[in-house]
Amino acid sequence: MENELIDLKEFNMSDEELFSHFDINQYESEKITAPRYSYWKSVFRVFFKKKINVFLLALLGFLVIFTYIYPLFSGYDEFEHVMTQGAKHLTPSEAMKTFGYNIHWILGSGDVGQSTFDALWNGAKISVTLAFICAAINMTIGVIIGAIWGFSKKVDMIMTEVYNILGNVPYVLLISVIVMIMSASFWSMVFALTVTGWLAIAYFIRTQVVIIRDREYNLASRCLGTSIFKIALRNILPFMTSVIVTLLATEIPSYISYEVFLSYIGMGLADMSLGKLIYAAESAMVTPGRQIEFWAPVAISAIIAVVLYVVGQNLGDASDPRTHM
Amino acid sequence: MTKYLLRRLLHGLVSVIAVVAIVMLMIYSFLDKETIFSGDGQLAKLQDNALTVYKYRQWEKYGYLDYVPYTDYLASLVKSGEIDSAKRDEAAKIGRTEDKDSETVAEYVAKFRESYTKKGYTVVRLDASVFKGKLLTGGAQQLFAYKNIPVLSRLWTYVTGIFEFDNIHYATGDVGKRGISFTFFDPAYGGKKFSPAIIGNGTKHKYLLYFDNKFPFIHQNLIKIHLGSSYSVNRDVDVFDTMTNAQGTLLKENTVYPTSLTEYSSDDLHTLTYSEGSLENGGEFAQARFTDDYTITTARRDGKSKIGYSFTIGIISVIMAYLLGVPLGVLMAKNKDKFFDKLGTIYIVFIIAVPSLAYIFLFKTIGGKMGLPTTFDVTAETALMYVLPIVSLALPSIAGLMKWMRRYMIDQSNADYVKFARSGGLSEGEIFRNHIMKNAAIPIVHGIPGSVLGSLVGAIITERVYVVPGAGNLLTKAINSFDNGVIVGVTLFYAVLSVVSIILGDILMSMVDPRISFSTKAR
Repeated sequence: MENELIDLKEFNMSDEELFSHFDINQYESEKITAPRYSYWKSVFRVFFKKKINVFLLALLGFLVIFTYIYPLFSGYDEFEHVMTQGAKHLTPSEAMKTFGYNIHWILGSGDVGQSTFDALWNGAKISVTLAFICAAINMTIGVIIGAIWGFSKKVDMIMTEVYNILGNVPYVLLISVIVMIMSASFWSMVFALTVTGWLAIAYFIRTQVVIIRDREYNLASRCLGTSIFKIALRNILPFMTSVIVTLLATEIPSYISYEVFLSYIGMGLADMSLGKLIYAAESAMVTPGRQIEFWAPVAISAIIAVVLYVVGQNLGDASDPRTHM
Repeated sequence: MTKYLLRRLLHGLVSVIAVVAIVMLMIYSFLDKETIFSGDGQLAKLQDNALTVYKYRQWEKYGYLDYVPYTDYLASLVKSGEIDSAKRDEAAKIGRTEDKDSETVAEYVAKFRESYTKKGYTVVRLDASVFKGKLLTGGAQQLFAYKNIPVLSRLWTYVTGIFEFDNIHYATGDVGKRGISFTFFDPAYGGKKFSPAIIGNGTKHKYLLYFDNKFPFIHQNLIKIHLGSSYSVNRDVDVFDTMTNAQGTLLKENTVYPTSLTEYSSDDLHTLTYSEGSLENGGEFAQARFTDDYTITTARRDGKSKIGYSFTIGIISVIMAYLLGVPLGVLMAKNKDKFFDKLGTIYIVFIIAVPSLAYIFLFKTIGGKMGLPTTFDVTAETALMYVLPIVSLALPSIAGLMKWMRRYMIDQSNADYVKFARSGGLSEGEIFRNHIMKNAAIPIVHGIPGSVLGSLVGAIITERVYVVPGAGNLLTKAINSFDNGVIVGVTLFYAVLSVVSIILGDILMSMVDPRISFSTKAR
């Protein structure tokens, strides 16, 4: 060890230069050296670091405006032109010639002379609202029950049986029976999609909880006498935030997709949602000159779903504290 | 291991029965009984009492309730020898209203009322609708008893009736010596060609076990599966037969009948079933061909069954998905954050986020532009018709497999054993092939039985879009036409498949990964 000592003479400096006196600074000692850390600020910092996210968020804002605000002003009435001669199945250019050059007719007109563009956003409003409400209900119930399911071994046994049984009841059947009993209204559809929809989410959360539950730091925490509730809230929930956000990102598009699917097989809503529009325009797809009536709702549902999914995924990535460093 | 599996199977069986019970409860108890008439044209032609009786008859057919008309009760009394037919005719003449009944009628009506009320039935008497002394259309007086079938007894009858074992005491008439015989030379092929078969006499089916040129080449009629008979989708045919019977145009071949008459016909002699007195009643036509009461045949058809089409399309797409999805996922993990990974991610996002209906139509349009047939035609089948449905089914599952394979590979490559292997001097290729791949493949393997068995179920949208006559649309069709028998049958089929595929997945996983053991509970 001795040869590691530094010989001060190497520096060729006087003792005064080498050793100068410093006063104790009270203020300096009060400063915390670690950088300030705020969870949500970091989430947004990481999120906005990717330039694509800014673009996607702008696109999302644009879509939201068209979905929720545009229908307020468009004054859409499906049967407005039902008696008008030569208003049906017009291509965009024909429609513009007939009705004048404005935004309503940039996608032509449909089978009762309605504006495809207005019908589209009206439908999007229904579909997106349905997806958001279903996702909110299913996620809330699913996360809470999933957490309890993962924690308690007794609940686990019962819930696993319930999952095995209810998971095997065909979803299509369940939904159609509920819709048949309660009429094909918006809220009965919400009920049908949520009555067992939370099960899959709860099962997913349960698996995650089981994985984290028995980690060493939680065992230690429990040994020290922390209550289960506090462990769930303080030790496990922060770990789950990114998982939950990622899950949400897949859930919302999946309800849009599901609504489209159900409408297509004739079991969907009575309202003209996106799925219903696609279903109604199926014959238009094979008719030359009318394909736009079919492809427009398909494209819009795809765009909404993709944007929501990608934004959600990136938000999920950003909400993982491990990416904040 | 065996003990564990038996327990799992038992557990699965219980949950399958629970699923069937829930579905029965849903469709028979929660659903309004009137909904079954929504598409019934018969309803408009009937009025008054006749309409009520028609409804009860239909409900009995659909399995909602047990319906007994008064005349049936009297007929049962005749059969048991309590009354003779003259008395029956007298007792059957019920009056237009109750106080107009003759003495005999009143006596038997009271008896009917008493015996069926005791059994828990509700007895209904509808008085005649008379206007100015004349009976109105459909206004004739009616007397019947009905009882709603409780879910438990319905479940019991259903579950116990799933398997029917053929036995030599089935035939009711005189069939001569009952028994089962074995032959090396199947008489259905003229008795000269070598083809072993087991033939029964007194059984329901003549051929209990036989070989032919259709997959899986050996067939049996010994155990028959009943999943519940259909009412509107495929009238009076069992769901299982609806799914497994061949479709398409009649296939005629030279057929040698038991009387050694040879004819160019589509009768499939292997499906001969017993019907009492059919030889005599069938007249010259039947007597020229058959020598006994086994005369009922099913026609041979050249197409596949519903399950056959679904499975052909499904299994090829599953194979394609695993052959492409797994290597592509591995490639993505290998090139993490590089161009290929990003390209793959875009594809995965596209499939996950875009509604499945949208991309299936996209594939259909692209395929159509390339000159592939976009609709399925059973009468003129070509291999090209299978291409688009298979691709449409395979592409999404490829995305799913890519996503998970990539995830597992990346998770595994951060594990300690990989660092240890690297520090031990193994090359990256060796680590990838022998260490990471093996571990990452385990959860993938678990899904294989599920996707193979799942292809039996068929795909709802794909089959609908390409007009494939597969099994996928059976459930939606049944729901739309309120065919309760089919709904329950198809549900049972789905539930059994899903339970079996989870168990098979676990077995397969424990075979691939020796660390997983089911013989001891939680280590």
